[in-house]
Amino acid sequence: MAIFDEENNRLSIKLVYYGPAQSGKTTNLMRLHDILRPDLKGDIMLMETANDRTLFFDLLPLGFKAPSGLLIKFKLYTVPGQVVHDSTRKAVLSRADGVVFVADSQRTQSTNNGEAFANLEDNAARVGIDFDRLPLVVQFNKRDLSDILTEAEVLQRWQAAPWPVLFSSALTGEGVVETFHALLNRVYDGLDREFEFQNRHLLSREAFAAQASGQIDRQAY
Amino acid sequence: MDTDTGHDFERDLNLQDLLLGIDKQRLATALQALLGAPIAIFDPRGACLLGASEPTNDIPGLPLYGELEPIGTIAAAVPQDRLKAAADLLKLLLHTNARYLMASDLHLQTQQDDFDELQRRHNALEQSEQRYKALAENLELRVKQQVQTIEQTQLKLYEAEKLASVGRLAAGIAHEINNPIGFIRSNLTTATSYLASLDKIGALLPTCQDIAALKTAWQREDMDFIRQDMRDILAESISGTERIAAIVKDLKGFSRVDETEWEEADLNVLIRQVCNVAAAELRGKAELQLDLGALPLLHCHPGELGQVFLSILLNAADAMGAQGSIRWRTAFQDNRIVIEVRDTGRGIAEADMPHIFDPFFTTKEVGKGMGLGLSVSRNIVQAHGGELTIASRPNTGTRVTISLPVKPGS
Repeated sequence: MAIFDEENNRLSIKLVYYGPAQSGKTTNLMRLHDILRPDLKGDIMLMETANDRTLFFDLLPLGFKAPSGLLIKFKLYTVPGQVVHDSTRKAVLSRADGVVFVADSQRTQSTNNGEAFANLEDNAARVGIDFDRLPLVVQFNKRDLSDILTEAEVLQRWQAAPWPVLFSSALTGEGVVETFHALLNRVYDGLDREFEFQNRHLLSREAFAAQASGQIDRQAY
Repeated sequence: MDTDTGHDFERDLNLQDLLLGIDKQRLATALQALLGAPIAIFDPRGACLLGASEPTNDIPGLPLYGELEPIGTIAAAVPQDRLKAAADLLKLLLHTNARYLMASDLHLQTQQDDFDELQRRHNALEQSEQRYKALAENLELRVKQQVQTIEQTQLKLYEAEKLASVGRLAAGIAHEINNPIGFIRSNLTTATSYLASLDKIGALLPTCQDIAALKTAWQREDMDFIRQDMRDILAESISGTERIAAIVKDLKGFSRVDETEWEEADLNVLIRQVCNVAAAELRGKAELQLDLGALPLLHCHPGELGQVFLSILLNAADAMGAQGSIRWRTAFQDNRIVIEVRDTGRGIAEADMPHIFDPFFTTKEVGKGMGLGLSVSRNIVQAHGGELTIASRPNTGTRVTISLPVKPGS
């Protein structure tokens, strides 16, 4: 749940990139850090071991000021995908306002995707998140690889699910901003209800997404 | 959810937090040496965390950024670009420290959560262990109570079965006893009338002068006959009381079911007693043959074995259609006492054979048997370490064999 700090007139929104090990969660964050140009962008904090495995989490802070003067701060986290780090995953997921589930498009990874998604559902329940109401988007990453599920196959499998499904290639930055926008779009409704974005802070849905991403620097990649 | 653990890795880190673990003196000295001027670092409220103690307006300052927002100021009397370089250097240092602080807070937080979870599971396990323990104790107690109930019920059934078979005999035994009592009473009445005759002779004695009158009176009262008859009826009465005594003795020997003590007993004697007690029941139905071989004494419960013998004997009697025979044979072989009872009765139907030892199974009409005789008998024989087997051929007869081990030295 977003935390409103009255003293500093600041709203902190927590977004979590969840998914199986090595599906590209950290890469998503790195590309966003490169591409996005919001008013405020902090340094990306990476905590990875020598073999590119996230140990605790990665963190990318972003922010902008709403017309009302409210500082809207985003904290984008990744969780460690390896099965053994479940306690860490649980702690990072705690109080999330929205989740991107980063799935691996490779055919060989279907089982891992399924298990990670079930783990997300379990951990959400454990930290008191109502999974049915949690803003969630699903991203099928690594579209640049061969031997991947076709878009038609993916869409058919997720046909009955209520979440938007996006395709990306985080390595090249393709689809990363679109995924972020899709999540912002889903997060907006709840925040608008709770904090009166439109009425009190004069912040429309479109402005919310546009300001969060700022001037997108497509030249970066 | 986890904010109460005290290790919230997401908490906002202020400048003081971020300087934790950094040797401030060395940092200040290094920065001063690089810049060639004294430096100072202040938090947003203007409190000095490093270097000079007071913020001064004439010394230029630059904001220090945390994640997104300024968390303090660095000030030194140097050109802007050099001050910015110092601020960048400091920021790199603080960023690295932030990484460490967040990671360690998260680590402590997950450790605490894991520990709490472990504790919770441990408590749950302990509770369930307690529950199972209580359940187990309770179960043991209840099983004990049930066993007690079953044992008591079984004892009552044994009692009932015993009473039923003894009850069946009661009429016959009553007749056996009544018969001698009848002639003993008749004899005593006669003896009383003989006493009247003796009185008459006795009345003459004080006045009588001559012996002839006495002789006349003696002959008138037929005292010679009386003397002889008196002897006869007294002998008859004595033998009658002996018969009664014998019946009572057999009955007593047989009815000692209540005596729970084991003792040495001669099974041949026991069989004879049972046959005597049941004599009236058998009369007119079956001829009894006893072919009893020499047996060693058996350490046993005579009352219970007597009940077994009676049950078998009464079953045989019930199986008789026309006049038949029941033959007892006992033998001692291979350290076992073998008792065989053959009857020439109607036998057991093949369909009934699998059920004959089932409690409450009976082919007799209602009121004639409880269906416990064989079931109880087999239990008693097994309690003596023995076996009870039955072979039967319809319309030919039945053979019951009891084999009892004689323990050496008993």
